[in-house]
Amino acid sequence: MRLDLESRSFGPRQVLGRLALSVARGERLAILGPSGIGKSTLLRILSGLDRDYRGRREGQETLAMVFQEPVLLPWRDAVANIAIPAGCAAAQARDWLARVGLAGHEAKFPRQLSLGQQRRLALARAFAVAPDILLMDEPFTSLDAETGARMLALTDALLSGSGAGLVLVTHDPAEAAALGARALHLGGQPARLQND
Amino acid sequence: MTQAPKPPALRPGLVPGVLSILAMLLVWTLASQLTDRPQTLPAPWHVAARIARLAQTGELWFNAGMTLFRVAASFALAMAAGMALGLWMGRSRAADRWLNPATIILLNVPALVVVVLCYIWIGLNETGAILAVALNKIPVTTVMLREGARALRPDLDDMARAFRMRPALRLRHVVLPQLAPHIAAAARAGISLIWKIVLVVEFLGRSNGVGFKIHLLFSSFDVEGVLAWALAFVAVMLAIDLFLLRPWERRANRWRQDAA
Repeated sequence: MRLDLESRSFGPRQVLGRLALSVARGERLAILGPSGIGKSTLLRILSGLDRDYRGRREGQETLAMVFQEPVLLPWRDAVANIAIPAGCAAAQARDWLARVGLAGHEAKFPRQLSLGQQRRLALARAFAVAPDILLMDEPFTSLDAETGARMLALTDALLSGSGAGLVLVTHDPAEAAALGARALHLGGQPARLQND
Repeated sequence: MTQAPKPPALRPGLVPGVLSILAMLLVWTLASQLTDRPQTLPAPWHVAARIARLAQTGELWFNAGMTLFRVAASFALAMAAGMALGLWMGRSRAADRWLNPATIILLNVPALVVVVLCYIWIGLNETGAILAVALNKIPVTTVMLREGARALRPDLDDMARAFRMRPALRLRHVVLPQLAPHIAAAARAGISLIWKIVLVVEFLGRSNGVGFKIHLLFSSFDVEGVLAWALAFVAVMLAIDLFLLRPWERRANRWRQDAA
């Protein structure tokens, strides 16, 4: 998929300037930059959630999103939290739960899971869509170091296994390195991409 | 891990509830014994005997059934229309601006005026009766659901859009569960409002139902009969609240419990 962005403004304030970005299956990109620079806005434009920009976005790839917070349905159990949004069968959802290490938690509601488990559930939900490109918005924040590292390794393994591409938004270059993602820096006012 | 069995929600309030009903019965008994005219305030056992007689003849079941049917029909209509309007007005600012004046006007038109106008315009028939009751309740449901729709979580909205969930799925799994507390509150407040208006509608223009019976008894100043019909139907409505609305609410709130 490819994005040719001219600009994205909120009111009078232009947040993102002219930039071009393309990503394909199997390719891993990381967008780095300080908080508030517009990384999440860029990801929302890529995902199609934000259509209020000037520019062109093309590509027929299947996308899946992992948000900064797990964003689960609190009133549905773990299996339904995968099966309903991803539109897959319950058996497949169980399979994905097992693959992210949540076997035995199928009938639990999100608030009965720890934050680390909720994030793994959100990851399983994204992979259940069988995406060509996975979009992740700071998915490892507010996890302790050990849980964060396990989550990174799990993400890496699932990406390799499925062959999906990745666009990761983060402020931590170590996360990009751990996933072997090409780092792009977002900086300036309005923000543009700077290659390493 | 297994979930701890939750004690039934009825239990904690059971003793004070029963005691307060007994206290009311006691006050009623005393008052009825102090008045010298039993026609004005009959004793509780006389009313109970009357209810038993009405139940035996089948009169109670037929008329309470007709009233219940009207309550159910207008309740369903009012909840469906009120939920759709409330959701729409809560989600779209334009819809809210256009429909808000009509909502406020309808909220403030006296129930009796709506009933009389419906009977005149639609006719003294079942459609007129049910519509009149529903029209009284729709703005109340609309306003309650609008508040709920305004508070819908934007992050879940994003998630549903990002995963391209179909509108029907989104409504069922994302929107309605968030509105459940508001729907329950509207249903609880609605069912009591509705049955009171149904009696007025029956009083004015139906030839069966609890309201019609009370009309007949009013013309003969039969307080015992009025109390018998009213109490019998209050019992029916309490049963609906206890055995239908509350279990549904409990089930809808299952996800709020923590793991044991």
